[in-house]
This record gives sequence, C-alpha cells and structure tokens, in this order.
Amino acid sequence: MSRTLSPLPQRSGTPSPSISIGSRLRGSALRALPKSYLILVLLAILAIGYYVSDDFLTFRNAENVITAASIVVVLAIGQYFVILTGGIDLSVGSILAMSTVLTALTLQAGMPAGASAVFVLACCAVAGLINGILVVWLNIPPFIATLAMMSAVKGFSYIIQSTSLIEIRDQGFIQVFSRGSILGIRNPVLIFIIVAVVAALVAKYTTFGRSLYAIGGNPEASRLSGLPVARNLIVTYTISGVLAGLAGLVAAAQLRQGSSLIGVGYELDAIAAVVVGGASLMGGKGDPLNAVIGVFILTTIINIMNLVGISSEPQLLIKGAVIILAVFLSSAGGVQRISGFFSKHFRRPQAA
Amino acid sequence: MSANNQVPVASAPGIAGEPPSPAPELELELEGITKSYPGVKALKGVSFSVGRGSIHALAGQNGAGKSTLVKILSGAESPDSGSIRLGGELQRFRDPMDAQQAGIHTIYQELSLVPSLSVAENIFLGKLPLRSGAAVDWQRMQAQARIALDRVGFDLDVRRPVGSYSTAEQQAVELAKALHKDARILLLDEPTSTLPMPDVERLFTVLRSLSEQGVTLLYISHRMDELFSLCDAVTVLRDGVNAADLKTASSKPADVVTAMVGKSLEGSIADAALRGERSPRLGPGPREGVILTTRGLSEQGYVDEVSFDLRAGEVLGLAGLIGSGQSELAGLIAGARKRTSGEMSVDGQAVEFRAPRDAIRRGIGLLPQDRKAAGFIPDMGVAGNITLASLPQFSRLSVIQSRRERSVAADMVDRLGMKVSGVTQPLKTLSGGTQQKAILARWLVRQSRILVCDEPTRGVDVGAKEDMYELIREFAQAGGTVVVASSEITEAMMCDRVLVMARGRVVAELDHDDIDPAGNAILERFA
Repeated sequence: MSRTLSPLPQRSGTPSPSISIGSRLRGSALRALPKSYLILVLLAILAIGYYVSDDFLTFRNAENVITAASIVVVLAIGQYFVILTGGIDLSVGSILAMSTVLTALTLQAGMPAGASAVFVLACCAVAGLINGILVVWLNIPPFIATLAMMSAVKGFSYIIQSTSLIEIRDQGFIQVFSRGSILGIRNPVLIFIIVAVVAALVAKYTTFGRSLYAIGGNPEASRLSGLPVARNLIVTYTISGVLAGLAGLVAAAQLRQGSSLIGVGYELDAIAAVVVGGASLMGGKGDPLNAVIGVFILTTIINIMNLVGISSEPQLLIKGAVIILAVFLSSAGGVQRISGFFSKHFRRPQAA
Repeated sequence: MSANNQVPVASAPGIAGEPPSPAPELELELEGITKSYPGVKALKGVSFSVGRGSIHALAGQNGAGKSTLVKILSGAESPDSGSIRLGGELQRFRDPMDAQQAGIHTIYQELSLVPSLSVAENIFLGKLPLRSGAAVDWQRMQAQARIALDRVGFDLDVRRPVGSYSTAEQQAVELAKALHKDARILLLDEPTSTLPMPDVERLFTVLRSLSEQGVTLLYISHRMDELFSLCDAVTVLRDGVNAADLKTASSKPADVVTAMVGKSLEGSIADAALRGERSPRLGPGPREGVILTTRGLSEQGYVDEVSFDLRAGEVLGLAGLIGSGQSELAGLIAGARKRTSGEMSVDGQAVEFRAPRDAIRRGIGLLPQDRKAAGFIPDMGVAGNITLASLPQFSRLSVIQSRRERSVAADMVDRLGMKVSGVTQPLKTLSGGTQQKAILARWLVRQSRILVCDEPTRGVDVGAKEDMYELIREFAQAGGTVVVASSEITEAMMCDRVLVMARGRVVAELDHDDIDPAGNAILERFA
C-alpha cells in the first residue's frame, strides 16, 4: 500500500529485464517525471491564485503574467544552456540593459528598426563571445568572467547613454517587439514560445545539445571522446549573449525607452528559474522547458502576491523561500526523501 | 576499536623488563593489524617492526593495503584489531592529533602546508609562540624555524610565503615542521613522486642524516632503486598481508617485485592459458606493416625518449610498476597528453596530436585509466555514452538520428554482454565492468583501428575482467591493433609483445614467446 502514498507511482512499475517496450516506456516516463511534477506545482499555484483573488484567472491578468514572464524566459533559456555546461552567466542583466540603450540610440539616430535590431543583437553576441573566450582561452572561472563582464557592460551602457534614459518613438519597432500580434498571440509571447521550442529541440535532438550535456557531465571524458569542447562552450556563451540582447529588444519595446537601469537583477531571476526548473549548477542535467516552467512558477507567485496586496519587501522574502522549497523538491532529491519518509513511517501495519 | 580492547595492555614488559641490549631498540611494532571496509578486507593481519633510527620501506601494488596502513599509523583510521607499539608502549590513536602527539608524523604526497603563510608560520602552525600571552613572538618563532630548517639542511628565508618555494623546499619545510613537533617516526608517502632527480638525492641525504639523529623513517615507494639505495629493510604488502620482510643488504630488487606481484595467477586468463584452456595470447600476432611509429617521444618528467613501431594487428603491452610512464605514454599515443619532444607517425605520415580529436580522426581510441574522472558521462544513458565519439556519424544536419543510435547501442549491449535494463539507463548506475564495456563500445562504434587501453581492468570485478580480455582479443582478431598499458604482470604476459618501462624509459622489449610462465622475464626488469 505504500504505493498509493508514493508521489512517484511510475517508479514501482514492473521492471523488465531486457530492452522491451515496457522498459522504454518506463524510461521515458522517468525522464518526463520532473517535468510533469513541476507542472503540478504550477497548477497548484494557479489553484491558490484562483482561490485567493477573483482577478487572478482573467484574460487580462494572464496576459500580464505571460508578457512579464516572456523577457525572463528568453534570458533563462540562454542561462539554461550555460548552466548545462557547468558554467554560469551573470552578465545577462547588463547585456539586456545594453541592448535597450543601443536600440534607443540607433533608433534615435534614424536607423531602420530591422537594421537596428540586427546591429544590437550582433553587439550582444560579441559580449557573449567575449565571455566565452575569457572562460575557455583565459581559463577564468565563469562566475568571475561574467561578473567582470556584467560590470564592464554596465559601465559601457552608462557611457554611451549619457542621459538618464532615451525614449523610443519608432512605432514600427514597438509594433514588432511589443504591441503586434499574430493569430491573436502577442509578439513577445510568440518570441518566447519560438525560443523555448527551438531550445528544447536543440537540447534534445541535436549533436550540439548532446555535447553540452556531455561537457557539463564530464568535460574530460568529452575531450577524450573528441567533442569540440572549447568551440561549443564559446558558442554557448555567445547564444546566452544573443538571447539577452533579444530579451532587451522586447524590454525596450515594452518600456519604450533604453536605459542602463533596466534589467537590474534579471540575471538572478533567470538563474533562480533555471534551478527551480531542476537543473544542477554542476552541469549536465536538466531540460530547457523546465526552466520555462520555473520562470512561470516564480512570476505567477509574484503576480498573486501583487493581487492580494502583499507589499514588495515581504514578496522578496516569500520568493526566497519558494526558491529554496522548489529546488529542494526538484533537484535536491526532496521528492524521494519525502516519499521515503512516508513509506517508512506510514506503511500499513502488517497483520501480526 | 572494540576489538582493540581484547588486546591485553602489556606496556609493562616492554619498558620494565627490558635489559639494555646491543641490538637496535624497536621503535615501532605492529602486530596483526586488520581493517575492513564495507565489502573489502583491506588489511588481514599485518605485522612488522622497525628499529629506532632505521629507514624501513613499505612496498606493494595498488590495493595491497599500503594506504590503509598509512591511515592507521597516522591516526586517521583505527584498526579493527591488532596492536601498535611505540617504543614498547601500546598506542591507540583516536585521531591524527593523537598520533602526532605520540610522535608519528606523516608527510603525504600532497603537502599539507598553507602556501600563503610564511615558512616560520607554517612550521609553528597551530601553536604560534606568544609573548606575554597575546602577541605572536615573531623573533623567537623565526629563530626556531631557522633551527628546525637547519636540521634538514636547508637555509630558507623563513619570512617568505611557503608558496614561493619549490616542491623540494616545501618538502623540507614539512620535514622541519614535523621535527619541530618532536617527531619520532616520519611516515613518507612517495615523497619523490613530485621531485626532479637532483632534489631526490638531496632529500635522501637529509633522510639519512635524520636517521642518524635517531628519527625512525617509514618510507613508501614503488621505486626499487630508491628502496635499495635508501632503506635498511622492506616490508612488502600484498592483499592485506605481509608478503615478504626483507633486509635490503641481502636481497635483490627482483625479490621485492616478485613479492609485490605475487604468483597467484589462479583463476586468471593467464592461469587458464597455462592449463591450455584458452589462447595464451590476446592477439593473433602482428600482420604485415607498421601502423604507428614513435621516435624519441618524450614528455618532460614522465616519458623519456621512447621509440617503437606498433605493428598492425598486434597487442602491444606497455608494462611497468605504477608511475613508470606507461600510462603517460598511452596518453601521448592517444593525443590526450602533449609531447615535449620526439616524433610520431601513423601510416607513415608524421602526425601532431593537438587534442584527442586529432588522434580519433586517425582511428585511435583511448580507454582511460580513471574511468570516473575521464571515461564516461555519468547522467547520460548507455546509448549516449556509446555514440559520444561518433556523433557526426549518427546525425544528419546535426540532428541526431535517435532510432539508429538506439539500435546500434542495443546491438553493442548484446555483443559485449552488458548488463543494463535499457539503452537509456544512466551509466553512473551501472557496474564498473559495464561502464568499461560502454567506453570500449564507443571506440568500436567509431571504428577505431588502434585501441589504447590504460589499465583496462582496474576496478572491475573478476568476471568483467575476463570479459574485457575476451573483447580485446576479439578486437585484435577482427584486425584491430591494441596497446595495453598495465602494471599487472599477468596482463602484460598476455600481450604479443611487451615493452617494459621504468622511469619513463623503455628498458626491455620482450616477445610473447620470450616470457616465461612466471613472468620473471618482465619482473626482473621492473625498477
């Protein structure tokens, strides 16, 4: 009967000794497990939101949450790949800010919106590329390299910005990255969905994704197996830079301004979402879609707290507690420990 | 600890009933030391004694129990049973502090100094001399540190940070530190493994003078020439018991090596081969042509001017005691390490391997010695680990063809007899032997021509060991060429040809037929 108490009923499925359909199903069920479990957490949070606030499950609120989340989702996916390799990218918040400033400046100078976006993404790619080069060639630990980059990029944004903020008036740009919609889906949402789907496919089905899992799992074994470790690491940091730039385009269009003050602390939100999504900071584990769910878990909780009128200071406190709880459950083996506890202490007494 | 209590406390006879004898007093006596870990009996009753002021060597293969014994003597572990006496007095160490207070100091390969602190501070670490109970008495500390260093024959600026000195000098600081704490017994765990040659001589001079000053030295090393030039006696451990206790003056290096390696071939392939049950060789013997050539291949400090021709289709053994350079040579051939000089060619074409990739492209695959650190991706499934070196072959436009990948992996699982529940089972959940097979499968799938195995059967159980030999044999039979770097004599004996290595050099080349059933032809050349 311990089976009914276990939150992981799939695990007690009949084991098959050979490579049968049964074991394959069991294997894929196990792989899908953390994901479905995270969705359960998200559903529970949605239920709480519905219970505590009448305004929660409205179209308008849902749109707000999703739009607010879209920027962090794009950041978190870049962050996810870096964390997958066993690294970390602290510079994404600053790169996002730089992206808004460069966008505003180039649009102000009369550059067409499309050219401006391409130029900005290229600049952000260079920032990411430098991160990768620092980590791979100069052998600087990712935490330090990207911390330095975070500071340098922020300084660069301040210098080129020169005033406190630059307004964006280019309606075409705002349309593409914020107001417009296709088939009823707002463009920022579309952007994050495309990014998430592509990331999930890359992680799961491409040689590049596979090699990132390998590098994060065991860099030396990857090197000895002939994987292009250095190249793929540099590419990963570059991707993180580009995605931060893309998030910056969305943020700039949403706020209609460029400022070096945008995106402060976003890198930490992205990291939190990735670990809430079950990735290990040691690398080699996780799923980009879980990082997306991680973003939604955190954003939804903030949204609910806003709706019920909890002020911002206790919000931070609660957010911290939620991160710890979620990480304990998803990647620190909390589910197994709790189920172990239950099956140990609440097993149906045997007839004596 | 409970077993210790059964030993009667018998410190009295050692001290009271001891008539002054001309024979050297016994400083350290070990009697029937045993120690078990879950699943392993590391020590099964080790006994030996060491006279005061003598230099006693402790030798043995990996897994013979040396390191467990060092842990027990240094107080890091307590024995399950048996007794340790120091100057006749029964000792029971609860922790390393206890052992140090009793006068046993251990100097590990990895020195335990604080690089950023000064020499003097390191020597006095834990009990800095104080003036009026509060301030550090720097002058007294520095003066005494100089005296301690003088005892080991070094003259260093004691105010400079330890990290700014060479390994040899740091070792001297460590020795001085032990002496300053009134060490009676120094345990030296392979102290020369990180030292350049001239410094080794200097260290020996220091150790000899310490022994003259009455300090007892327990010296752990694989290197025969060191044991014989420095030590008075050798205790050889094998499988957790004394395999031999020899006086160096009346024995030869070969005696020590024989005791280390043992003749227990029972149950091994070599044994089966001797009884005519199986082919005595791993390989079918060389075919025409040379596939790989090295000339003067060197990696500073590890491999010294090695030249050989690897013939197509042969199984070539690189045999040597641990640390003789065979592992590093294997790494050089497979592009995992960088040569400092010399030349290498594959199929008659000069090659330079900047990374393992380059060697893999030439058809060379490496089975690394440290499986966990360098062999596999722990959370990745069996299939992913098997295709890791062949991803381009398993993908189109960089998209992995998972169905083909899984079916090839399943084939390999069947062919190599891997015990797995499915090809997606994470490799970390499998046994050492199965992991090793997965890495071998990686190179089979890659269609490598040359398989370089570095200690291919280390840490795998007996059954898997036999399987590995069978797989190597199949690989060779199917036309592959194999290089086996090994410190196991029975493994070397199965090769078509053996290069015996010592101190990074090839000291002998033996054909399979030149090797006697006991392997003495190889043993004699170990050093």
